[in-house]
Parts: sequence; C-alpha cells; structure tokens
Amino acid sequence: MISEKDIVLDHNYDGIQEFDNRLPNWWLWILYGSVVFGLCYWLFYQTYGVGDAPEVRYEKVIARAAEEQLARMAGQERTDESLLLMAKVPAQVDAGRALFEKNCVECHLADGSGKIGPNLTDGSWIHGGKPLEIRHTIDKGVPAKGMVAWGRQFSPMKIDQLAAYVLTLKGKNLPGKAPEGEPE
Amino acid sequence: MESQSAETRQIVYDDAITRAFIWASVLFGVVALLVGVLVATQLVFWQANAGISWLSFGRLRPLHTNAAIFAFVGNMMFAGIYYTTQRLLKTRMASDMLSWVNFWGWQAIIVAAAVSLPLGLTQSKEYAELIWPIDVLVAIIWVVFAVNFFWTLAIRNEKNLYVSLWFYIATIVTIPVLYIVNNLQLPTSFLHSYSIYAGVQDALVQWWYGHNAVGFFLTTPILGIMYYFIPKAAGRPVYSYRLSVVHFWALIFLYIWAGPHHLLYTALPNWAQTLGMLFSIMLWAPSWGGMLNGLLTLRGAWDKLRTDPVLKFFAVAVTFYGMSTFEGPLLSIKSVNGLAHYTDWIIAHVHGGTLGWNGFMAAGMFYWLIPRLYRTKLWSRQWADAHFWTSTFGILMYIVAMWISGINQGLYWRALDGEGFLLYPDFVETLLSQRILYHMRLLGGVIYFSGLIVMAINLIMTARTGRAVNGEASVVALPRNTGPGFAELVRSKPVVISLLIILAAVLVGVSTPITAPAALAVGVLLAVAAIIGGGLGGGMEKWHSLLEGRPLTFTVLTLVAILIGGVAELIPTVVLRSEVPDVPVPPMSASPETSSDAVSAATESEYKQKPYSPLELIGRDIYVREGCYNCHSQMIRPFRFETLRYGDYSRAESYIYDHPFQWGSKRTGPDLHRLGGKYPNLWHYLHMRDPRNTSPGSIMPEYRFLTDKKINLRVIEPKMRAMKKLGVPYSDSEIEGGVETARSQGALIATDLAAQDITLDPESELAALIAYLQRLGRGPQPTTLEKAQGR
Repeated sequence: MISEKDIVLDHNYDGIQEFDNRLPNWWLWILYGSVVFGLCYWLFYQTYGVGDAPEVRYEKVIARAAEEQLARMAGQERTDESLLLMAKVPAQVDAGRALFEKNCVECHLADGSGKIGPNLTDGSWIHGGKPLEIRHTIDKGVPAKGMVAWGRQFSPMKIDQLAAYVLTLKGKNLPGKAPEGEPE
Repeated sequence: MESQSAETRQIVYDDAITRAFIWASVLFGVVALLVGVLVATQLVFWQANAGISWLSFGRLRPLHTNAAIFAFVGNMMFAGIYYTTQRLLKTRMASDMLSWVNFWGWQAIIVAAAVSLPLGLTQSKEYAELIWPIDVLVAIIWVVFAVNFFWTLAIRNEKNLYVSLWFYIATIVTIPVLYIVNNLQLPTSFLHSYSIYAGVQDALVQWWYGHNAVGFFLTTPILGIMYYFIPKAAGRPVYSYRLSVVHFWALIFLYIWAGPHHLLYTALPNWAQTLGMLFSIMLWAPSWGGMLNGLLTLRGAWDKLRTDPVLKFFAVAVTFYGMSTFEGPLLSIKSVNGLAHYTDWIIAHVHGGTLGWNGFMAAGMFYWLIPRLYRTKLWSRQWADAHFWTSTFGILMYIVAMWISGINQGLYWRALDGEGFLLYPDFVETLLSQRILYHMRLLGGVIYFSGLIVMAINLIMTARTGRAVNGEASVVALPRNTGPGFAELVRSKPVVISLLIILAAVLVGVSTPITAPAALAVGVLLAVAAIIGGGLGGGMEKWHSLLEGRPLTFTVLTLVAILIGGVAELIPTVVLRSEVPDVPVPPMSASPETSSDAVSAATESEYKQKPYSPLELIGRDIYVREGCYNCHSQMIRPFRFETLRYGDYSRAESYIYDHPFQWGSKRTGPDLHRLGGKYPNLWHYLHMRDPRNTSPGSIMPEYRFLTDKKINLRVIEPKMRAMKKLGVPYSDSEIEGGVETARSQGALIATDLAAQDITLDPESELAALIAYLQRLGRGPQPTTLEKAQGR
C-alpha cells in the first residue's frame, strides 16, 4: 500500500529530515473525486437547475402534504380550511387557473387585477374574502352586478378549483382597479 | 555550509518567551475548561448560575469559547511558534521586546475579555464577541507578532523555510484579514457598537470569519507545530515532503470558501450555500493530507507509543484531527446538515476538534518542551499516562453523549405523526428526552478537565525539579540569496497554471447553461496541459524549493490564495448587495396558523420591513447583551417540520435592519424568529421571571433582574443615529422623539400588564425586551395609546 521507496531529501531543519514518498492513490482519489463531485453538483443544481433549490423542494413538500390532508378529508364537509389546502395543491390550482383564463379574464383580467369586475389581488372584498365566501360568490354569482352564477355551468369540484385559484391571487396586491368593498 | 566565507556563530534562543506562553496556556486552559464545566452544569441544573446575571449561560458561553480558542490554544500556539521558528530559522527572534509586547498584550486581551464578556459587553458574533476597543488591541498585538515574525524570517540563517513556517505564514496573514473584515463596526460608545453589516451580509461575513478562525487559528498553526514536534519526538523523518506541498496549498486555498456551510438552508442565497458545501467536501483530502503526514511519520516509531507519553498524545491528537476533518465535510452535506444543524452534534464536532486535536497537541507539546526548557526529566510518566487515559476517556464520553443527543434532537424535531403533524410539538419534550445525555456530557467534561489538572501539576513539578535554560546552537551565517527573484517566481509555470485553472473554475461557476460546456472544456484542457507539462511533477518540487527561499514571494502567494475565496463569496453578497431586495418583501405573518396559510392577505404596509421602534431597539440590545443567541436561533429553515413548529420560513428581507444579525447557531431553546404575537405580554413577563412557570421542564435561566434594571434613556438617540448612519431609515424627528416614543411604548406594555394585576416599571429592561420579543417576525407595533386603540 505504502511505497517504501522512501527518499530522504538532503536538507535538514534543526535535525528534522523529510522523505519524499508519493501521494497515496486512495488519497488522490478522494482529492480528485471530491473536485469532480463538486463540479457535477454545481452544474446539476446551480448551472442547469435540474435539482431543486431548497425553497422549490419545500413548496413541493407542502403541496404533497396538502394533497394528503385533502385526501384524508375527502367526504367531509367543505370548509375554509379544505379550500385553503386545495389552494396549496398545484394540480388543483392549475385546473382552477385554466377555468379562470377561459371564463373570467374578460371582467377580472388575466392577472386578476380587475376591469369590469373588482380587483381580486387586493385585500378588499365586496362579498367577503373568506374561502367559503369567495366560493359562494363564484357558485351563486351576483346577478345584480353582472357576476355570473358559475355553479349552473360547472360541477361543484370545478367551483372548488376556481375558488382555490382565486385564493392564490389574494394578497398579490397588483396595481389595477381600486379596492372596492371592505378590507378584510 | 556551502559558502567558504561563512562564519560560525554561537547563538542563544529566547526560550523564556516560550515558557511564559506555556504557563499562560496551562493557566487559561484550566480557566476555559472550568467555565466549560460550569456552563455544562447549568444545562443540567439551571440553578447553577445562582441567579447572578454575570454567571448566566448566555454570558459565560462566549467566555468559554473565547478562552478555549484564544487563551488556551492561542497561548499554546504562540509558545509553539516562538520555540520552533527560532530553531527552524537558526536565529533568535528579531526583537525580544516585540516578543514580550506580544505576550503581555495577549494576556491583557484575555483579561479584558474575561471581564467584559460576563458583564454582557459583547458584539454577539460567535468567537468575535469582544467589544471594539479590545478588537483594536487584538489587531495591534497581532501586527506586533507579525512584524517580529517576518523580521525574524529576514535575519534567518537557514536558506529555506520548513513546512511548519508555511503554516505559520498562512496563519499570520489570514487572521488579520478575517478579524478586521468581520469586526468592522460603528461605535456608539466606548463599550458598544453596531456591526456595519446587517442580516444576511452580517451572517455571511461572520461565518466566513467563524469557520476560518477554526481553519487558521485552530488548524494551520497547530499543523505547523505538528510538523516540528512529531518528527522530533518520533526521531523519524517526515513521511512525505510533496504531500506537505500539495496539502498545504490545497488546504489554505479551499478552507476560505467553506464558511457558508454554517448557513445551509438559511436565507443566505443558495449559490453561496452550495459553494460552502462543495468546498467543505473538497477540504476532506487536504485535511487528511496533514493527518497522513502526522501519522505516517510515526511509522517505525509505533513501539515508542507504549512508553512515550508525548507520542501517545500526538497520535491521538492527529487521529482526532482526522476524525473532525471527516466529520466536517459530512456535516456540510446539505441533507446531513438539515438534521444536524442547531443540534448538539455540532457541539460534539467542535469539542472533538478543540479538546481532541488542539488539547492533545498542546499536552504532547508541553510534555516534550517543559523537560527541555528546564533541562530535567518529566516529573512523572505515570501522571502523564493518567492524564492521557482520563482525558481520552473524558473526551470520548463527551463526544458520544453529544452525538446521540444531537441526532436525537434532530429526529425529535422532525418527527411527524400519521396525519403529517408534529409528533413532539412542545419543544421541551425534546429537551427532557436528552437530560441523561447532558449529565453524561458534564461527567465527560469533568473527567477531561481532571486530566488537565493532572497535567498542570506534572508540568509544575517538572519545572520545579529543573531550572530554566535557554537553548543554544552554533549557526553558520546565511550567504545572500542569489536564486530567482519575486517576479521570476510569480511568473513561473506553476503559479500561472494554477491561476488559470482557478479562473476556469470561476468561469464554470458563473457561466450560463450555454457557456458552461465551453468553460468546462477550457478547465479540463488547462488541467491536462498542467499534468503533461509536468507542472505538478518533479519540476514543481524544484520550483517550490526555490519559493521556500523567498519568504516575501511565499507570503504574497499565500495571501492571494486565501483572498480568492473570500472575494468570490463576499463581494457579490456584501458589497454589491445584489441578493437582497429592499422592497417589496413577502408578508410576514405573526403566528404559525396564519403563516402556514400561504394565501393570507397582507396590507401594503406589511410588505416593507420597518425599522425597530426605539424601545424595541433597546430591547434588542438587551437580547444581544444577555447572549440569547447562544441558545435561540432566529432563522426558520424551509422544512415543513420547521414551518409547522415556528411559522413560515425566514427570508433575507426580514433582516435588512438587523445590526448585528441574531440567527444563532444552536437551539437549546426554540427558534424565536416569529415569536411576536404568539403569546400575550403577561406570558413573557412570567416566562422571563421564571421560565418554568410557563414552560415546565425548561432549563432557561431566570431573568428577574431585568425587572429592576432601568433602561438608559440617554443612549437611545446616539444608537438611533448610529443605525441611521448604517442605512436604517429613521427620520430626524423619529430620532429626536426617540425617548418619548420609547417611554410611551413601555407605558403601553406596563398598562397591559397592570390590567392583569402585574406591576412593571415601563422603563425597565424587561419592558424593552418584551417590546422586542413581541416585534419579532412581524410589522411595527403600536407605540402610543392612540395607535393601539386605532388598530
């Protein structure tokens, strides 16, 4: 394992001499291996972003936990909490976004900042900002103000998804239509 | 030797300075460990502070760490450097006067630290707690030491520098760089200052310093000492010169990058975290290079280990060095760190390094030196053996207890039940589960400490049987160096190729997905060219031996090697501040319930981080003074088990006005970043007076004295002005009305408590501390009655 071709170098420091043994192979493997590992890791996580950054991984963990919790709550009554959980599950939010972009953008704009209908990203709500209240507004509509009762066109599940998507707009505070209704 | 005109002279080494530093090291080693035993006792019996503020854990723990590092190991390091440098250079130190200024200056620093830290005078940056006047003294004394050292290099009678001296040079040039950059601060009085950095920047600079204090204060000089004393004691040549060369340069170049591994999963930008992790892993081999050269030098001398206590201590010391430098990279792996950070595992790690590696190196060196410095024999080999076995047993007991405790903590904190919620939501549950391990740690510490006492007695008795003598040698004056000069050496192939490879690596680091392959190809080509060109083969050794004859060139190259990593990490984060947006910031929610609600609304005002109110600022300074950061973090990591327990994970924007940062590195108690609003004022009042009142099983000290101590209203204005200079947006009217605002906010808290039949002086320190604690993790709180009612 260790080369015995020890060479005593011809210098001497206060009586201390030195061999000039070659570097052990296994040591060199650790040295070069860790450098190569470092390069690969950097390219994987930083340069190409194939691996998830901690925050991204966190979001995924939260989404999975919400999904599991929703599954456990299946069959139970719909609550503020269940809608909030739904708003954390990307698949549900994406479905809601698709519905929103097809049906709602004429009045609320694609980013939800409001045009004919109110700004959905501020903290003010005309018909209540609680998850169940938002869902109710979508479901039954406000015919007097031109808000369609979407419950007649879409299944309750799709209304849930729409509400979940609207919940993700809450708090973005995008510039747009001035706040209407009551601050939450 | 070579020159015919050489004349032989008889010289006497200054060994009195070595003796002085050894005794100082022994004395302060006993003190440092005694304080360690005391704080370990307090973690088992919280009453062990006797209710005295300056004996409380938060104030004594910095004293323990500073004393162990700078007093015990520091004095040992100076003893070793002064002894070996003179012999390796075949000359007496250039100036006895500077040597003694170094000695007395260093002891003055230690005494000043021992007085100021228990008084709560602190910057709260770990191992850099000392207040600014002492920092200035440290810088001056270090310069004195450096001047003396380099002057001695200049008058040497040895052509080349032996490997020990390379490590000393690296130490001497790096420590001031670290120390000065990390201690840049704006004084508000003779005893108080604010770090010029805030939040993320402060954290990065601090841990760049903290990690490299380990690297260049506890590692490089001790490696230099190892390279002298192990071959001496074993009577064997050093195992491999070329290993010395490779591991020296690799070690000092890589070490400086590794600091961010103390900040994994924090609000530090991810790229810096990744760099910290990867460079820590790359440090494994260079560190083990030192271990190999130490252990393999003992080949052919293993039989002496049975009889020679000196070699026994060295062998175990180097083994601990190998263990710690494997554990370090392991702990730097992000996923491992996710488990180990904030836990006792880290405590195990640092004690393996300090007590195992440094402590045993010190003991071996003392047992070798004292008989020689007093021209006598060791008083008792049996006592030395007894020291060896007690300390080995003690340190192992300590480390094993902390390993188990650390992993236990990590697992308790992250344990979830079948429904995905915390299995142990009460933090105290974890604490109670490891009480037996804290007893075991205390016992291990006491055993190690008793070994040190045995050593002290043995050394004193040895010295008494002999008399102080100074080493002598006949030396041949060194002929003028006629080799290649500075420019030639710096332009030579090894330097140019190394720099090009580093440049290529930096290019890979900053490249985009498209340019990365090109940068990578250039790097590989350069590496191949270097190998083919023989830059790393025999030619390199010849070049290095020329370099060893040129201390100035050697020092400049060392400085360049240690600056690269620091510049690459600090400049983008600290100087450019590109990583931390000022506004807008995400909403900061008050309680875990609302913060886990990712879609909660926030009003515009909550989007921007607002400065602390005057009373909160004073309260924060009390938090700093009491050393709360020693047990409490203010940094919630992006793990579900953390956000379930503490609320939404911490983001860089929250800390932009935190001079200094208070992220902490250890959770003996829970995280406090989102404490504000979690409990009523009454809870805090009761908790600070008797933590067990609200949290049965807690081991936190009582802070009753804060009730009676009044805040100093006069300091509010200068403190706010200092903060303003550092970029905190206080308006002039806010500063002028600071005292009034502080009074009314204090009155608000007192009124709230009065309604619950508690009398608290609105100008008491406790009121200020409660104001600060209630502000943590949320926006501005009302400071006047009108505002409070308006909400």
